[in-house]
Amino acid sequence: MGIISIEKADHLFWLGRYTERVFTTLMTFFKYFDQMLDMDDKAYQGFCEKLGIPVVYEDMDDFIAKYLFSLEDPNSVYSNMVRAFNNAVILRDELSSDTLSYIQMSLDCMEHAKGHANALAYDLQPVKDYLFAFWGCLDDNVEDEEGRNIIKCGKYLERLDLYMRLGFSYPYIEKEFNKFINRLHKIRIGYHLTEVDRLTEVISLKEGWTARQQEALNALWNIF
Amino acid sequence: MRDMVEHMEGINRLMARYGVKFGIYKNREFHEQLFPFDPLPRVIGRDEFLYLEKGLAQRVDALNCFLADVYGEKKIVKDGVIPEDFIFSSKGYLPQCEGMVPPKQVYSHISGIDLVQAKDGDWYILEDNLRIPSGASYPMIARELTRQASPRTFMKNHVADNRNYAGMLKEVMNHVNTGGINVVLTPGRYNAAFFEHSYLAERSGAILAMPQDLYVENNRLYYRQYQGKQLQVGTVYRRISDEYLDPLCFEPGSLIGVPGIMDVYRSGNVALVNAPGNGVADDKGIYYFVPQMVKYYLGEEAILKNAPTYLAFYEQDRKYILEHLGRLVVKDVSEAGGYGVVFGRDLEKEKLEELKRTIIGDARRFIAQEVIDFIDLDIVEGDGSVPRKADLRAFVLCGKETKIWPSGLTRFSRNPDSFVVNSSQGGGFKDTWVLSQ
Repeated sequence: MGIISIEKADHLFWLGRYTERVFTTLMTFFKYFDQMLDMDDKAYQGFCEKLGIPVVYEDMDDFIAKYLFSLEDPNSVYSNMVRAFNNAVILRDELSSDTLSYIQMSLDCMEHAKGHANALAYDLQPVKDYLFAFWGCLDDNVEDEEGRNIIKCGKYLERLDLYMRLGFSYPYIEKEFNKFINRLHKIRIGYHLTEVDRLTEVISLKEGWTARQQEALNALWNIF
Repeated sequence: MRDMVEHMEGINRLMARYGVKFGIYKNREFHEQLFPFDPLPRVIGRDEFLYLEKGLAQRVDALNCFLADVYGEKKIVKDGVIPEDFIFSSKGYLPQCEGMVPPKQVYSHISGIDLVQAKDGDWYILEDNLRIPSGASYPMIARELTRQASPRTFMKNHVADNRNYAGMLKEVMNHVNTGGINVVLTPGRYNAAFFEHSYLAERSGAILAMPQDLYVENNRLYYRQYQGKQLQVGTVYRRISDEYLDPLCFEPGSLIGVPGIMDVYRSGNVALVNAPGNGVADDKGIYYFVPQMVKYYLGEEAILKNAPTYLAFYEQDRKYILEHLGRLVVKDVSEAGGYGVVFGRDLEKEKLEELKRTIIGDARRFIAQEVIDFIDLDIVEGDGSVPRKADLRAFVLCGKETKIWPSGLTRFSRNPDSFVVNSSQGGGFKDTWVLSQ
């Protein structure tokens, strides 16, 4: 690693974004899933609204089946897993076969669980485990910091975006914001400084940032 | 071996984990599938390999001489060893390459030579692949994974290590490098052999480049880095066919080529592995003349035999082919990958007559060979094993020296009645063990 083309930089960035999207949405899905079991079978609607995805699901069961496993649903966890894989598979020489294998196994696990899952949380736990292993392997196997910074910039941007949408509490937002800014300054990809300043200003309001949530999200989306 | 069979499930799990796949287009849609792996290896004894090594090196050295001659002085034509028409009407002959001399004068850096072993133990060459032969990555990774899954097997058997292929490849790329980095140029993610491209790049330390990553400036080839820095390329191990390599020189509509790369190559400022234009030497018709080439260029008798072959181009051979078509295998010289291969014995009378007419009408397009009853190798099926036809693709690498990789891709037919072993036709693969003592 160390010699990175424009195309590869793009794939590294989006690999970071999609792996994080799978990880965080899957984790959050199970919080809502728990509520839907015996408290509120319409809880998924709030989940979709927070994420900003259309509520196109007929009921809880339809949501569970499609949001997790449908390739026709562009917002599904599976669709995002496929995108993560499509970005990763052309980066074998950058990431190493060992690192890439964790993405392959995450994808295989989702494909296997589709139609076979009896205990969803249990059956899909390996996806989260493999993604953790992927990030660990990345740190361990990939010597070049530049490539890792690009992936992590994508990862923390995505995490900050999701945490802000999903209403995570301020300490989480602040932590992810700091991680993102740290990586942003280390990559050599052009970005809009004014948007970073705007985001910094909103985050510096601490708990009060929620009053300007949309402004913060807009700034984040316009950084690149 | 029992140990390997017992660990078959584990080996296949590892294959899936590492994405050991190949791509195939069905109904214009791209599908990736695992390359079926059989854990029982082909075993080649040390002495037998030494014999093959000699014969393969001799053959590829002669083919390299032939390529230099064809695109240079053409002495072999002037001396009447190979008819002129035969060379210049070959689809693989590229007039654009006339007079071009590749760095260090190596044309076929990586040659994939397909062989079969007859039941009497003799080896026969079936085909030379000098353009972009694929397949080395599969036994490479299979060995890596079988050693993990079944370590005891390798404690008990003395098997030559085949995991040095990437090192051999790197040596070849470094030898011809004109100054700059080594890249593996892939047409992209949806190429049938993409796994191999990315794996070989990783293992050889080369950069995996997409066509859009490379550009030509001031008669030099550069890799486009995201920070905007220029990085010169010294060797391109290109996995793109000649006709798509440079839209300014070959197929103008190619979107997967690098415009101007042939000018850089012509100026000696980049090495292309393998050299464009090699197709003239692995033409199924030219195959017929390889033993003569060995004699002509090296002054030696060919060590390895060709399968008995007839050229429909020659009247006497054509007569023989038409008289014995029912027992011959006919090959269309313009096809590859197991396509265009017809066994006369499989044809109804009417189809046989139709084929005869086609051969008469376009004689240059066809060769016919005696069907070699090559040995079966056992493959695991259910709880037991069954015999299946298998060939061997040996890899010959030419850098400073001509070296034979002590392994190879053994492909087998999964269909009990078939001699066709290509992965695109549903075949599987085995590791190839060369015993070290």
